[in-house]
Amino acid sequence: MNNHKQKQTPHLDRRAFIKTTVLCSGAVILTGFPLASYFIAPALKKATGKWVNFGAVENLSSGSIEMLTYEFMVKDGWLVLPQRGFVWAKIDKDHNIKVFSSTCTHLACNVIWQEDANQFICPCHSGRFDSNGKPVAGPPTKPLSVLGHKIEEDKLLVYLNV
Amino acid sequence: MNNTIGNRSETILEHLALDGAINRLKALEVPADALVWHRFFGALLLVLLVLLFLSGAFMAFYFSPAPGSAYDSVDYALFTLPFGDVIKGIHHYGWNLFLIVMGLHLVRGFWIGAYKAPRQLVWVSGVLILLLVPAFVITGDLLPWDQKGYWSTQVRISIMRSVPLVGDFMVQLLQGGPLTGIVALTRFYVLHIIFLPGVLVLLMVIHFHFIRHRGLCGPLSGDDLSRKTVRFFPVIINRWLILFLVVTFVLGLISWYWPAPLGDPADPTDSTYVPKPEWWVLFLNQLVTIFKGAWSVIGSVIIPGGLAGLLIALPFIDSSPERHPAHRKMVMLIAALLAIAVLVLSIMGYLEHHA
Repeated sequence: MNNHKQKQTPHLDRRAFIKTTVLCSGAVILTGFPLASYFIAPALKKATGKWVNFGAVENLSSGSIEMLTYEFMVKDGWLVLPQRGFVWAKIDKDHNIKVFSSTCTHLACNVIWQEDANQFICPCHSGRFDSNGKPVAGPPTKPLSVLGHKIEEDKLLVYLNV
Repeated sequence: MNNTIGNRSETILEHLALDGAINRLKALEVPADALVWHRFFGALLLVLLVLLFLSGAFMAFYFSPAPGSAYDSVDYALFTLPFGDVIKGIHHYGWNLFLIVMGLHLVRGFWIGAYKAPRQLVWVSGVLILLLVPAFVITGDLLPWDQKGYWSTQVRISIMRSVPLVGDFMVQLLQGGPLTGIVALTRFYVLHIIFLPGVLVLLMVIHFHFIRHRGLCGPLSGDDLSRKTVRFFPVIINRWLILFLVVTFVLGLISWYWPAPLGDPADPTDSTYVPKPEWWVLFLNQLVTIFKGAWSVIGSVIIPGGLAGLLIALPFIDSSPERHPAHRKMVMLIAALLAIAVLVLSIMGYLEHHA
């Protein structure tokens, strides 16, 4: 009887082990797949762009760099909230417009235009960009992003990623 | 149910089937060396953790994890409720103290060679706890939705984004989308109060499991302290309780006089707000400033990752049985150089951001 039991045990152990492993894997997959999908889903959503109206072009004075603020509603998950921020518009003497993102290319703080220094300055790590958005001092190495813009019915529209 | 044992009735402990555990606890003896003051960093961490869990759990009663109301809910709890400032203060000062004591715990463990065989996994599990703590800070800082929390999060997210290949996805996953909005805040909140504490408790159980089975590290010099023993209950337990009372009282008093800071509500359009890195992260922040452009990955990933890897692997790199610092000159020298580098970078960071 004992001998018989000893012969059976390793076999039974292996079978029991495989059975438990299969059941465990089943439990992990059954619960893991929906839970992981549930958690990851919003992360797979791609950022979309939007044309934002900044008002009449004639309000912008030539040969200046101006802060243009925006506020529009954006859907974030289950909530629609106002998204606020600002961009920098450079208007040259011929009234050509270039729009820069205000986000520093180093660590995402907002850059501010300083008229006397003729530079964009990031207050976080003292990054500096010239009036064309090129980095001239401090940690940033990439230029400020230039945002797409168009003029429709004398209104300045800027393409923002939201 | 049979509520009698022999001819006597069951005690309450027996009825609850806790008699075995209590008897084992009563019989537990630990080396008298465990009463030395620098042994109490671990106990102090445990006390602080209990306080952090308690204060955090109660703050959760009044917290509304949505950008429109999070700030007001924190403000309400802080200034309107009785002891609101004390409870938030204990959480605030508590985790700062937790970081300091954890640093001391680590330095002490390193100094006396506590990571040597057979205690390698005590060290490894401890380092894993240490590496988990920044996740608590990152997720916790955003919750009050004030300027400091919001802008510090933007900087951290930007650093995370700079990780090659997976950076963008990591940020999207953490925030639940491209914005730092309501989905991000809710995620940070749930991670902060459910998932991270769960992982932390699991790691602590593992840490204690190894301490229990691999023993405490004996004193460096062979005095007879190691041969004497004291009872865990009540001697050590009472020490822990005294520690709890003292720490709670002191932190409560500090919070009462200097309430935990709550800045202005977060304003993503504010171009003037300059987030200042916390004292413990100054050296990492300085690394990010030193390595620019294509090299930024060295400062943001390779060096911090390398340091973390080095800490985890330490018991396997320095595997000789020698524990006395005087006989571990090479390891001590490397550690001293690294400590000096961290200190110098921190001072540089302090001068740049705070002075």
